[in-house]
Amino acid sequence: MIVGLDRADDAGVYRVNDDLALIQTVDFFTPIVDDPYWFGQIAAANALSDVYAMGGVPKTAMNLVGFPLEQMDMSILREILQGGIDKMKEAGVVLVGGHSVEDPELKYGLSVTGFIHPKRILTQKNLKGGDRLILTKPLGTGIVNTAVKGGIASPEVVESVTHLMARLNQKPAEIMSRYEVHACTDITGFGLLGHLAEMVLDSGCGIRLQSDRIPIIPEAREYAQMGFIPAGAYRNREFRSGMMEFLPSVDRFLQDLLFDPQTSGGLLISVSEKDSADLLRALKTGGVHEAVIIGGVISTSEERIFVE
Amino acid sequence: MSTEIDCRGLACPAPVLKTKELIEQEKPEKLIVIVDNEAARQNVTRFMEYQGFDVSASEEGTDFHVTGHAGEGSESAAAPVKTVESEEVKQKIMVMVGTDRMGHGDDELGLKLMVSFLKTLKEMGGELWRLVFVNNGVKMTISDSEVLPVLEELEKSGVYILVCGTCLTHFNLLEKKMVGETTNMLDIVTAMQLADKVVNI
Repeated sequence: MIVGLDRADDAGVYRVNDDLALIQTVDFFTPIVDDPYWFGQIAAANALSDVYAMGGVPKTAMNLVGFPLEQMDMSILREILQGGIDKMKEAGVVLVGGHSVEDPELKYGLSVTGFIHPKRILTQKNLKGGDRLILTKPLGTGIVNTAVKGGIASPEVVESVTHLMARLNQKPAEIMSRYEVHACTDITGFGLLGHLAEMVLDSGCGIRLQSDRIPIIPEAREYAQMGFIPAGAYRNREFRSGMMEFLPSVDRFLQDLLFDPQTSGGLLISVSEKDSADLLRALKTGGVHEAVIIGGVISTSEERIFVE
Repeated sequence: MSTEIDCRGLACPAPVLKTKELIEQEKPEKLIVIVDNEAARQNVTRFMEYQGFDVSASEEGTDFHVTGHAGEGSESAAAPVKTVESEEVKQKIMVMVGTDRMGHGDDELGLKLMVSFLKTLKEMGGELWRLVFVNNGVKMTISDSEVLPVLEELEKSGVYILVCGTCLTHFNLLEKKMVGETTNMLDIVTAMQLADKVVNI
């Protein structure tokens, strides 16, 4: 066992021999979009993401389904599964089975197994002073989804956030493997600052973020001002606020966005300063257009996050 | 008129939606929303403030009472501003500003002209309905823009100023925008359809 329960990491890793280790992860949730086919895609992209965040390649997967047979037509389930299968195909993953139960609340997700070289495992806990931090998807899906639930988001916004959540983290994962990357995680329920806090703890480093560079879904800020903020964002803030230092220019709506729980969020990559510009360029030319350097790692005894 | 609604037991975004519905339908002067969790307290506070209410919250046992008084810029108080349209106004003019320079040729001159144009826009009076900034035009709305006070004045007088979110993001200026509402293409297209006249700069 190389990465296990003692570390709150994205997935578990088991070494098979000197050249091969298995990564295993599981994730499922209730629908976040109305369209069953897209829900299937998003749930699959989200489950696969943990493998990408550790630098691995997903190989096989099993479906996990909770379905309310009494209330819903089986065609809905078929569409969800089709969405999942199409996403797995895109990722080059083989579906090898699954399990479903009857459940009053619909749920779907995957258990995923991937391969990785035992010496090339990326975890959250390896920040190095001087590193640059790259984020590969804009923030705000939690807030936008709350606004969608509230019926105030335009169809245009619904579509763009759906596509964003369904996007695999495969490309950035492939590209980063060619550079000196020290640590990586994917941004999900804890929000950007929650996940950064996990990386900072016991690292002997601090983090400085340039908030004006952090990519954000354009409409999310106004929805935050209107109070369409998921309860999870407040919980994230309460849990980690002691580690944060915000400059006065970082207003509370922006802080909400930085704590906003993400569904199938982007990768957060800690890369050596010398490789950072090359990696960023490679990401952009490789189709990860929204990738941005959002800050850096500082060597300090204070394990805190400074948001400028 | 004072109104009270009980949003206990509701999860976000339901309390905000109930508050929104009430404000839209009854336009209350004073409004008390009772909620039972911290996220709802904060979200309802934010929504009322967004609507221009002065908001305070108090703890009552395990509940929170969020109280809002209609302020200067609230929906209820803003209503007279909107009706300006129906008074002397003959038409709704929408002005699209897609650049920070007016005309082609000399950039320095172009900027001067644009500043002068925006300063003079108020002469349209109540017929100026919407002012939309896209592409390089969004630079007129950020913190170091020369015409910021002018635009703020226009906004106060009831002109809707809309600033393209995609453009702000593109120029990395989202946080520097100081006036107007961030908008998207759907809003712009809808506004075009509603306007009597669209002027492109």
